[in-house]
Amino acid sequence: MNHIELNLTLSPEYAEILMAELAEMGYESFVETDTGLDAYIPESDFSEEKLQETLARYQPVAPVRFSWQVLEKKNWNAEWESNYAPIEVGDAVRVRALFHEPDARFRHELVITPKMSFGTGHHETTWLVMNEQLSLPHAGRAVLDVGCGTGILAILARKLGAADLLAFDIEEWAVENTRENFSLNEATEQSEVFQGTIDDVPFDQRFGGILANINRNILLNEVPRYAQHLLPGGWLVVSGFYEIDAPDIIAKAESSGLSYKRMNTRNQWAMVVFEK
Amino acid sequence: MAKEIGGYVKLQVKGGQANPAPPIGPALGSKGLNIMEFCKQFNGRTQDKMGMVLPVVITFYKDKSFDFVIKTPPAAILLMEAAKIKKASDQPNRVKVGSVTWEQVRQIAETKMPDLNCFTVESGMKQIAGTARSMGVTIKGKAPWATEKK
Repeated sequence: MNHIELNLTLSPEYAEILMAELAEMGYESFVETDTGLDAYIPESDFSEEKLQETLARYQPVAPVRFSWQVLEKKNWNAEWESNYAPIEVGDAVRVRALFHEPDARFRHELVITPKMSFGTGHHETTWLVMNEQLSLPHAGRAVLDVGCGTGILAILARKLGAADLLAFDIEEWAVENTRENFSLNEATEQSEVFQGTIDDVPFDQRFGGILANINRNILLNEVPRYAQHLLPGGWLVVSGFYEIDAPDIIAKAESSGLSYKRMNTRNQWAMVVFEK
Repeated sequence: MAKEIGGYVKLQVKGGQANPAPPIGPALGSKGLNIMEFCKQFNGRTQDKMGMVLPVVITFYKDKSFDFVIKTPPAAILLMEAAKIKKASDQPNRVKVGSVTWEQVRQIAETKMPDLNCFTVESGMKQIAGTARSMGVTIKGKAPWATEKK
């Protein structure tokens, strides 16, 4: 998705006030400049008419000059991705890029080209979930990856024997990237990837395992939905939140009919496993 | 040995909503930092401030690592929330768009104390009151210091 960069020149006294108004209008982020403010919004949410209306109101008290430009979607993370270091999870799993040499000492090698999606194993939460997957039964199970990012967790699920994979992400580029990484790792058969949310998963579809590395708020909202999509005996792995938030998530899962199995942490990030 | 600092990036990002699009993407990506790592950490740390604009100062190091400090939201944002308004006034001296109480001004000043350039809550409250005036937000009642002087 393209973004609009709006460059505003106005007195610093009013820059903060205008920022507050633009935030209400859907502008996502801002950079204070020597002459005013830069504001950013997805191109699909941008309305020049609304902007003109708002800025016109400022003219009597704080004259504003503005210009805007379209910033085309590109992989801003390309430089980091061009030389990232491989990641090892225990002595069984290694995550590497195409430019790394294979290492036969590892039972499972995952090739990940992230292209600005989340999930290379460098983050504590990805590492924690992958490490946990190694001790969970996958063989023959249907596995759902919620908020798949690069698709790394679903790919490991396949390497551990998962029969069917369903993965989705709200971000368009993550969906493209998961498909690409499924191809790189021979995980395309009996696999489906789509752009959307848990609401798009058919109500009666059931899974033997669900992986959800997202964040506290989404998990608090959606854990009951994951519970409903689990088969009896199925497992749910959640991560993407800090240790301090774990009790709330555990309480939500237990009130949704799931049993707490165990928790693991790394640098204050947490991962919890439940079973239905 | 302390890591060698490469520089700083200052942005204002909505809580829980950092993504690799501009300005975060180009600002961090051009330094060779892992943007996705920043987004995950920022969103994880701001789940209780979803959608609220938060200034963040990122320190990046020569070894491509980084850390960051999340500051308190701008006064104008907190005032809009307190007054339950979405727009400031186009004639702040004449047309008032909302009001807050001195107690709310005190709460905002106390929230913002770590980032305000002042030593007492009272001087912080005066700064917040100045922003409120520029927005066309009135403050109900008498300023606490006006009462104290009686």
